[in-house]
Amino acid sequence: MNDAINFMNIEGLKFFGRVNASISHELKNILAIISETTGFLNDLTELAKQGKDLKLSLIESCSKSIAEEIQRGFTTIKQMNSFAHNVDVPIKETNLGDLLDLTVKLSKFLSFASTVHTPAPDQKMKPVLTCPFLLQNLIYQVLCFAYESVGPEGKVDICFNSKDDNGIHLLFSLPVTMETKDFPTEKIQKSADVLGIAITVKNSEFILWIPFSSDKITQMASLL
Amino acid sequence: MKVILVDDEQKFINMLEKRLAMRQIQADVAFTGDEAIEKVRNTPYDVAVLDIKMPGISGLQLKKELRALNPNLKIIFVTGHGAGLESGEDPAENDIYLSKPLDIDILIAKLNQVAN
Repeated sequence: MNDAINFMNIEGLKFFGRVNASISHELKNILAIISETTGFLNDLTELAKQGKDLKLSLIESCSKSIAEEIQRGFTTIKQMNSFAHNVDVPIKETNLGDLLDLTVKLSKFLSFASTVHTPAPDQKMKPVLTCPFLLQNLIYQVLCFAYESVGPEGKVDICFNSKDDNGIHLLFSLPVTMETKDFPTEKIQKSADVLGIAITVKNSEFILWIPFSSDKITQMASLL
Repeated sequence: MKVILVDDEQKFINMLEKRLAMRQIQADVAFTGDEAIEKVRNTPYDVAVLDIKMPGISGLQLKKELRALNPNLKIIFVTGHGAGLESGEDPAENDIYLSKPLDIDILIAKLNQVAN
């Protein structure tokens, strides 16, 4: 168990750093657009001072663009905040739909992210007792593997199957022609083992079986 | 001076193109690596301003492909990274790295520097 906790600490820090780096990149892009747009407005103002006609439509479109980017920034910061609060309670009952939704959104900041189709979060879904931060790390790793397999033009479909009495199946479907022989990687397998999650690969599908509760999680909760 | 701006952030690159045009610098824009390669194949640009991180291809990889088409093409990298590739020159390659958000005057100074 100590090995597992060491592994979690190292991988958790790496994951936290990676996500934060991608968020900072996104925020810089947002600020860059706002900066260029305000710079353009300054340019227009200077031209107006020199007697050139000022086109109201240009000012309107700049204002709209700035408002859109501010909203994009708020959305990004909200996601960053939700992510940061995932470590508040190490083990807790977690809605998988919400967790998946946030993880996919965070992964979309990666430059190599593909198109992802996810099910709408379902508040009636039975929660799982897990470490949300580590589960997010695992799903993020699976998404990265999928993105690298299908490329930025590719598509990954994700769905849940909750007919099992003991847990939920989370299915990642890649195009049928994709090679999946390298999955799961050692790190993904280890991350899954720590959480008591089983991984199977069926044709071009990666399946994570996430138990509603497991001895590993209960044991981990008593140590954290 | 013929310039091509390459970045998947379309609003950013469109705005930059307008601001450069106001300063009598005509620039073409490309939103993907493939689009940039196609334009560089058909037009003898002097300078390419490349985003470091783009879907499908990194700016560093794109530089190699563009240089294969036009060995004289000068490169300015623009990065949204927080650290490591902030403003300054890479002494090994003589490429210039600028950090977002950009200062238009610095960009123009660098464009003039590399084009001359």
